[in-house]
Parts: sequence; C-alpha cells; structure tokens
Amino acid sequence: MIGARAARREDARLASGRGRYLADHDVAGLCHVAILRSTNAHARLLSIDTDAAVSLPGVVAVVTQADLDAHGARPMTHRLPLPGVQALEWDVLARDRVRFVGEPIAAVVATTRAIAEDALELIVVDDAPLPVVVDPFAALEPDAPLLYPEWGTNEFFRLTVLPPSLADAFAAAPRTRRFRYTNHRVAALPLEGHGAQAAFDPATATLQVLASNQQPHQLRTVIAETCGLSEGSVHVRAPDMGGGFGNKQHFTREECLVALLALTTERPVRWSQDRTEGLTASIHSREQVHDVTVGFDEMGKVVAYRVDVTANIGTPVLYFSGIGPALVTVGALEGAYDFGVVGFDLRCVATNTCPIGAYRGFGQPQAHFASERTLDAIATELGLDPLEVRRRNLLPDTPRPWITGGGARIDVGSLRPHLDELAREFGYDAWRARQEAARASGRLVGIGVSALVQGTAPTQYGVAGRFGSFESASVAVLPDGEVTVAVGSKSQGQGHETTLAQVAAAALGVGIERVTVTDGDTARLAYGMGSWGSRTAVMAGGAVLRAATNLRAKMDRIGSAMQHARGVPVSFDEIAEEAWWHVHRLPAGEDAGLQESVVYTPGNTIPVPDARGHMNFDETFAAHMTAVAVEVDDATGDVHVLDAVLVSDCGVVINPTVVEGQHQGGFAQGLGAVLLEEVRYDDGGQPLTATLVDYTIPEATDVARLRVVHRETPSSVAGGFRGVGEASIIATPAVIAGAVADALAPLGVEITSTRLHPRVLRSALRAAGHSPDVVAFAED
Amino acid sequence: MKQNVKLEVNGTAAEVAVEARETLLDVLREHLALTGVHAGCEQGACGACTVLLDGEPVRSCLVFAVQCEGERVATVESFGSPGALHPMMESFRRHHGLQCGFCTPAMVLTAIALVAEKPQLTEEDVRLALAGNLCRCTGYAGIVDAVLDVARSGE
Amino acid sequence: MKPAPFEYVRPATVGEALGALTGDEGAKLIAGGQSLVPLMALRLARPTVLVDVKDLELDLVGTDAGQVRIGAATPHRRLEHDPVIAHAAPIVREAAGLIGYPAIRTRGTIGGSIAHADPVAELPALLVAAQGSVVARSTRGTREISACDLFAGFLETTLARDELIEEIRLPAAGARHGSSFCEWAPRAGDFAVVGVALLVERAADGPCERIGAAACGIGSVPLDCTEAVERARGENNPTGSLLRDVAARARALVTGDDDRAELLALLMARALSRSFARSDRPREAAA
Repeated sequence: MIGARAARREDARLASGRGRYLADHDVAGLCHVAILRSTNAHARLLSIDTDAAVSLPGVVAVVTQADLDAHGARPMTHRLPLPGVQALEWDVLARDRVRFVGEPIAAVVATTRAIAEDALELIVVDDAPLPVVVDPFAALEPDAPLLYPEWGTNEFFRLTVLPPSLADAFAAAPRTRRFRYTNHRVAALPLEGHGAQAAFDPATATLQVLASNQQPHQLRTVIAETCGLSEGSVHVRAPDMGGGFGNKQHFTREECLVALLALTTERPVRWSQDRTEGLTASIHSREQVHDVTVGFDEMGKVVAYRVDVTANIGTPVLYFSGIGPALVTVGALEGAYDFGVVGFDLRCVATNTCPIGAYRGFGQPQAHFASERTLDAIATELGLDPLEVRRRNLLPDTPRPWITGGGARIDVGSLRPHLDELAREFGYDAWRARQEAARASGRLVGIGVSALVQGTAPTQYGVAGRFGSFESASVAVLPDGEVTVAVGSKSQGQGHETTLAQVAAAALGVGIERVTVTDGDTARLAYGMGSWGSRTAVMAGGAVLRAATNLRAKMDRIGSAMQHARGVPVSFDEIAEEAWWHVHRLPAGEDAGLQESVVYTPGNTIPVPDARGHMNFDETFAAHMTAVAVEVDDATGDVHVLDAVLVSDCGVVINPTVVEGQHQGGFAQGLGAVLLEEVRYDDGGQPLTATLVDYTIPEATDVARLRVVHRETPSSVAGGFRGVGEASIIATPAVIAGAVADALAPLGVEITSTRLHPRVLRSALRAAGHSPDVVAFAED
Repeated sequence: MKQNVKLEVNGTAAEVAVEARETLLDVLREHLALTGVHAGCEQGACGACTVLLDGEPVRSCLVFAVQCEGERVATVESFGSPGALHPMMESFRRHHGLQCGFCTPAMVLTAIALVAEKPQLTEEDVRLALAGNLCRCTGYAGIVDAVLDVARSGE
Repeated sequence: MKPAPFEYVRPATVGEALGALTGDEGAKLIAGGQSLVPLMALRLARPTVLVDVKDLELDLVGTDAGQVRIGAATPHRRLEHDPVIAHAAPIVREAAGLIGYPAIRTRGTIGGSIAHADPVAELPALLVAAQGSVVARSTRGTREISACDLFAGFLETTLARDELIEEIRLPAAGARHGSSFCEWAPRAGDFAVVGVALLVERAADGPCERIGAAACGIGSVPLDCTEAVERARGENNPTGSLLRDVAARARALVTGDDDRAELLALLMARALSRSFARSDRPREAAA
C-alpha cells in the first residue's frame, strides 16, 4: 500500500460534481453577507450612515464596528513573540481609519447576496483621505505617510543577524559582488474563494461554523476569542475545499465577522468571497527585495553571504501575520548549500496595500531565487559550468543532521549523487550541445538548474506565538472490521483521503477500500494543526501510522489469544467484533475496543532560541534537483519550456501519482508567478488587477509537462516520510529565471527579477539593442 | 419582481420563479440544488460555471435564467454519479486529472463536448479547447492525458 | 458580484424591440451577453431594461450582389463553421476563432461585439480593414453606417442609444482574395494586445489591386493602417524589402508606446505575407 499508485477515493464524488464546497451547504433561512469595502487606500473614517441600507426590503441587518463592539466583539492581534515587533490590534471591521483599498468597513446581512449588494450602495461613508504609500522603500523614507503614527515609522519588524565573523569572511574572500533581486507581488488564487457560514444552535448552545480554512481547530480558537466564547462552544468544520495554497490558512476578519453576525442576527449567515474581493482585498504574497552581498573564491565556493531583505507586508492586519514568509526566507537562505558565514538584515514594512501572507512556498521561493541567481552569476563571472558551481557549494554528505549556523537540522541524503542523477536524467550535456547548435542559428535557447533543500513540516510557533508542532489522529476499527481515521490535517485537494488511508491500511494489513479518512472537523479531535507547509505526510501520516500500528499490535495480541482458545486462525473482522462485543473474553489486562488516539510530535523543531541561540523550524527536510530548457521568442518575448525534469527526494513516498501531481501543479504556479502573473497597484494604492482578465494565471496551453524522477532517502521521522507539496513552486521561478538568463546572456541581458512576462522580456531585448527579424516573423 | 421560467434540466421539466438578474448559475445552484456547477469568478473568465445549453458549452454566469425559456440544460450530475461514473470522469480519475475538484465538473463537460464534436484530437487540440477552463491545482497534464485517453479509445 | 436589478423583455419583432429601446432611457439590447454581462456583474453597466434580440431572427448569413450579409445576432461559433463565411469572408472565420474560448463563442455575436466597440476586439478592426458597414434601424428608420464612421471612442459607437444593428456587411471575397488576422496575446483566448486584419484582392495575373488593413489594441478605436500597406498595391510578391518597408510604416503609426509599435510592425508584416500566400492562385468557386 505504501508506494502504490492507488486511485483516489475522493475522485468519485469530486469528478461527478458531488463534492460539497462551502457555498454548497444550503440551510433553511440562510442569509447572505456583503461587505462594504474601502475605496480609498488611506483615509480617516468620519461617519457611516446606514439608515437607508437598513430600510431596504430583504435586509436583515447592517453592522459597523460600533455594532460589533456593542455585542462584545474582541479585537484581533498578531501575537508574534518576536522582540521589537510592533504591538498591533485591529478590529473585525475598520473603526476610524482605513489603510488599504478593500479594507472592510461595514457588513450587510440580507436574504440574498444581490440584495445585500444593493444595500451596500445605500451606505454613506464620510472619510478624509490621507497620503498614500505603496512602495516599501518609499514607506521607509523619513517623510513617508505613516499607517500607524504611534509607531513613528512604517517598519513593523526588523531582525538583524550578522555573525561577528561575517565581516572577516568578506574581507578574506578573493571576490565580493553585490546584487539586487526583486520578487514581485502575486496572489495564490485558489479557484474557490474564501468563505464562511455560521449559525448559532440553541439546542446545544454552540456556534456552528463552516469555513473554507486549512486550519479548522486554530480558526475555532481565534473565533472563540474574537466572539468571547469558550472554545468548546464553537464547532468548526472545513468541507471540501477548492484549493487553499496557504491563502486559506490565515484567520481572517471575514471569518470572525460571519461568526459575529450569526450571533447577533440569530440567523444562519454565509459570506462567499467573490473574485474581485479575492484579488484585491484578501491576501497577497511574495513581495520582497533582496540586496545580496556574496564573497567567493576562484573555485566558485561561497565563503560569505549576506542578504538584506526588504519585505512589503501590506497592511499587517493579518493573524497569523504576514511576516511569517519573510522570517522563513531569512531562515532558508542557504537551502541546499553551505555558504560559509551567513548573515541577514530583515525589514518588514507596512504599506497601504492589501495584507501580504502565506502562499505555497512561504518565503522559500524568494530565498531560493537569490541563491540560484547568485550561483549562476558566480558561474558566469568565473567561466564555470553552473552545475559545477552548485556541486562545489552543496552541503557536505556528513554529518547528518547538518546543523546550520542558525540551528536548522538538515537530515537529507547525499546531495552530490542527487545532482548527478539530475544531470543524467535531464541529459545535461546533450542539452548544452543542442543549445550550441540553436545559438548558431540565432535561437535563444537557455538552460537553468536548481538544487533545493526544502524545509517541510515546520513549527508555526515562531510566526504565531502559539500552536505547537504536532498532529492528531484517531484510528478505530469498527465491529464489522471497517476502519475509520480522523485527522487534524485538512486536504484542499492533495488527496489525503487516499494517502492517509494507504498509511492506515498498510499498518493494519487491510485493503484500502476498508478505510475511510475524515478531516477538518473540530468535533472529532480535540486539536489539530491543519495542512500547510508540506506537513501532512510527515505529521498526519506519522500520527496515523503510530495509531494504526498500535491498533495492529493490540489486534495481534487479541487475535493470538483467540487463536489459542479456538485452535484455528482468526480473521481481522473476527478480532474486531471480539474487541467490541465480547469483551469478557479478552485477555487479562486488555482494554475493550479498538480505538487509538495519537497526538504525534516528531520532536526535531526548536521554535524559540535554545541555550546556544539555535532555532530549527522544520521537523524534516526534502531535496529536489530541477533542470529546464527554454527558448525565448525574440519577437514576442514568450518563453517556451522545451524540457523540464525534477528529481524528487521526499523520503518514503506514499503515493507516487499524488506526488507527481503536486510537482506538476506547483510547476504551473511557479511558471505563472514569473511568466504571467502580477498583482499591481497604482501610486494611489488603487488595485489594477481586479479581475481574472487582468490577473492572468496559466491555462492548459501555458504549462509544459514536468517529468518527475523519484529518489527515496527515508527521513528519521515516523514512516520515513518527508514533506513535498511546495517543492516545485519553490524551485520553478528560480530555475526558469536561470534558463531565461542563460538564453539571453549572449545579448547582454541580465535577469535579477521574477518579472519575466513577455512584455518585460521584449523591453529587455530592445534595451539591449536587439531587433527581431521582421521577415523571419512574417514568414513563420 | 419575479418571472416564471420553464426549462428542461437534466432531462426533467423545471419551472422556477426568478428575478431577471438571476443567472443560470444562480438558478441551478440555488433553486434546483444542482451544486456541481461552481462559481469561480462570476465574470466569465474562469470557466468553472460551464454547463451545456442546448448541447453546447456555455458560461452559466453570463446567461440570465430568463433568457433560457424553453431550453435544455445539462449539468455534470446528469453525466454520472459516484457509483456510476461517466467514462470521461473515470478517465480523469485514472489519470489524476483532478486534485481539489473545483474546476472538474466544468472541465469534464467541456471535454465531453469536445470529444463528441472532434473525435480525432492532438494534445495541442485538447489544450486549446480547454484553455478557457482554469485549473490552479493540477498543472493540466493529467487532464490532457484523461481527455486524450477517451478520444483515442473512441468512447 | 451580482448585477443591479433590471427588467427583461423578449420582443417578437424588431419593431417591438425598437419600441422598448426608445421607451426607456436605460434600456439596452442583449444578444450573447459575453461582453455586457461581465460589466453588469461588476455594476459598471446598469441597464434598467434588457431587450433580448433572440427571437428577432437576426442570424441569417448569405451573399448578395458581391456583399456578404451577416445577421447581427449570428454567434461567433457559426462564423467559425459556416461554409458561406468560409468562402466569401474567410477573415471573419479566422478572426472569430480567435475570440475567447468555445463557450464564449457559443453565445457571443458579431453584432454584439461590434456594438460593444472594445478597442481590443477583433471584429471591429476587421470591419474597418474590410471597409464593411452595418445596417442599423431605429424607430426613425434604417441607415447604413460605414465602418470608418462607426467607432467613436472607447466602448463608443455612433449608433444612437435606441438604434439596433440588423446586419453586418462586407465585400465578398473576389477570385484572387487573400486575408489574414494576426494577433499577439499573453495567453490563448486573451484579448489581443495588438491584432491586425489585412485583406488583399489581386488581379487575375497577380498584382495586388486592392488592400486594406486595420489594427485593434492601438488607441481607443480601430486604427486604419491602409497607408502603411499602400506600397503593396501593384506588387505580386511579398519580398523581404516590401515586408520590412510595411513594418516600418506600421511602426510609425504608433507614438508613445514602443512595445505596441513593434508588435504592430511585426504583425502587419506577417498578415501581409500570409494574405499574399493565401491569394497565390485563384480560389475555387463556392460549392
């Protein structure tokens, strides 16, 4: 079962349209919420007149923050345990100031969404615009408009870690170079937008919440706190989710708003995020600028590496905070490499834009982009092969775990043989020969490579101030031999109903068809930690493995006793029935039943600095080597992927088909992030990409096939699993940028930004003095 | 003010009382409880709302129900059920052509219509025909394999 | 988002439709709705009454005295597959196939696209290049408006608010006709950044007798580019020198946007090359 390409259990209902997503849960008397959102990027709110809106037929309620105050709503806060971070509380609705276009100001509850939107137009807001700042560098200028005047700055958080030996390491380096890399703003864009539906159930005195959220238990905690309820009186269930990608792992004002509206109106209420809300007033990602200083020797070995990160975090009203990815970036600077002495200076800057938060990769893509661009630049300067430069910088094979300067405990296999396997599988030498022939005929063909060590199954503690590194599972064998598994993780499409069933089935020795996995329900487990950060195989897989293994051992004990008594072998089903229904016959000391609850912690993370000042964010690590060949069309700037290979080591693989699907999907998102997508604002903070016509994600015609080759170096955690979901989205922007840079190098074009859209490349080619051949284009 | 609209949905006569501004998408999901059709953008840009109207794929978010008097609508539910999957659905399953499943009903309907219209398909044909159905999870490879498999087996 | 409220009427005759349009300042025609409904969903368009053209039988396609006549409510899918269009106006087939995606083309209509007058849309530019026209009707009578007089600005035509397009007309392809619609867009089905419509009619012995070209995506109305391709008149062969000359003239038509200028130049040269190739020998008569 482990390692089997089992067909997915969830597909029968999803492929036939019987999935039930958030907005598919109709209940009698359901009302709908529409949210009045700021059209100014920065303004003082003077008054909100809701009288006309309240009178519209079909309107049940119109609320502002003053109304929520009256019902006892509590503010939200980021709870970051970081020294020096700005203290910050915010309310579910804006109170007296708005700081980004789209910030929620008021809410209407009505019998239909259409009527609610009619009512929004009747609300009169009187506001006084304030100066706007959208660029993080401009926001750090002394005269910049301040989002929070009480801070005296727009700097939300600064972290500087410069080891004492760094200056000497640079001084001793034969060569030192500086680069600036730009990572532009994108949106994760799950196809199903956010949503929440809530109703107070008087019979049980509980608040029943449905939410399209990757972390249901933690959402329960935050809703309970915001509403002033005990956690036990709030029930959260996340139904089928149409994607998440981290974008749905925060705890949003809208989710708390829905809970409060259910309590105040005493009606069931639903809010479904529409696409414009999703693109402009939800959560954006990635925007960082890296100023890199690298010291290296004549062999291309990096001996000193400093990255100054300026991270735009938008308006930081997001729990858990959007600085999480920036913290991961500075913790993942070396990735697969040993760069000698490493330091960083991180500034997280607030601006009048939508909050920045999680997106698959969570800060690792930016760190990886910097390391890969830098190594390529070193290779170019020294006239060395980029693959060879990587070899020379890879982590040594021993010791394991490899402890980095910051304390990360990297337990991956040997990386040089892994990189060699990539070169073989990709046919690196053959591609270089093809490239030479192509260049001779004037074609812009380039090759990019990436060596990635990815942190997986991280602890959330450092970015949330609570929530440990664990996962819960409850496995039971019912009297008829059927197996139920409840987990605290939450699938958004990754196939957990199948992969976790495979784990349970393997440990119990039954067919997968006998196992049913459920997730996302706070009523079934006391606490769980959801799915994000490539954690589920490691954490939920480990918990299920433990629980199922314990159950199997118990069944063996009972079965052995039964066999001894009867003199014939007994079946799985007979043991199950015995354990529940004939308990007087069980061996002495054996409890009745077959049910095992496990809260599993691998134990490798160090979420706060230990005695040595070390922190380790990840329970385990995975390694992925990627190579691509591209051709750049010199007339249109289109980038065509000619070949793409990923050699993937995510430890013991539960289901290779699922892993390949994760890699192919992440590859598509990575391509989109560099070739097609950008969230844009004008200088006044007005969003310019508010529809899917402006924000263009990859279509079926835009995504080449990524060939995946599997390598398995078992991890040291239960099952030998490693995480994998984020691997290709981390690698792809870097490897595509490397290939485009390689393709355009003969023309003198340098690539230091994730912006590789056709228009950008056309402009770069023109600036380099290159003109496409009109006749060749005409006759094509 | 509501108008009565009579249409045929999945082979059965249906009559709904609707406001003019209710789209076919709204009516299918909210009046007829056919939630297999999904709202991905309500602006005609993602394809998740695709249904068959008189046999042809349309974006149900861009059609008002009142425009559909007397017409035939087919949604994903009429093409298969969890216990009896349509061959296209089964092919999606076999080739890992879905992950979260949100785009899938629309993708399946578009693919069924495509194969019916043009049985000989290249990979390029398939990708172009499905270009208007956005998927954020799969990266499309499994979807393309699923459609080509059905086309090649002549089902 | 959900549209603002409106009333819906479905008249049985053009006369009734015109009455509905004239009778209400906020009345608007709806054909396929593929351009209008997204605007309504965003509440950028707020008609008070939608007048459906569905029952007005405005979807006849035919040729008549050297002209192709296309009913305004003909969907793009029909333009892609109709044999009359394929023979008498092949550029219409080519352009229609570039519009959005199959589901869009099932509903969207030629009349709707032209009346909507989006400067990045293919069909308005095509109509200008082909020197076509629309037949428009109101309660005040019927008139024919040339394409060059039709497009007034961004999403704006010279049609009166209560005027309805009945049909679109363009010259039927001659014996040695060649045409091409070329565009560049970031993704398949996206609105073009720049698109070019180009048509040639060649004499029986080869030289180009008539030529017309227009572009979408440049400015707020279709850009007539005939002056850039004039030099091809009298030519029998799209030589490298001719192509480069045409490209340079096309480039010079655009100021203040180097990127669009360059794309226009390239696409004009390609459209010219293809139009000549497609008119290399006399066409077969229609079946």
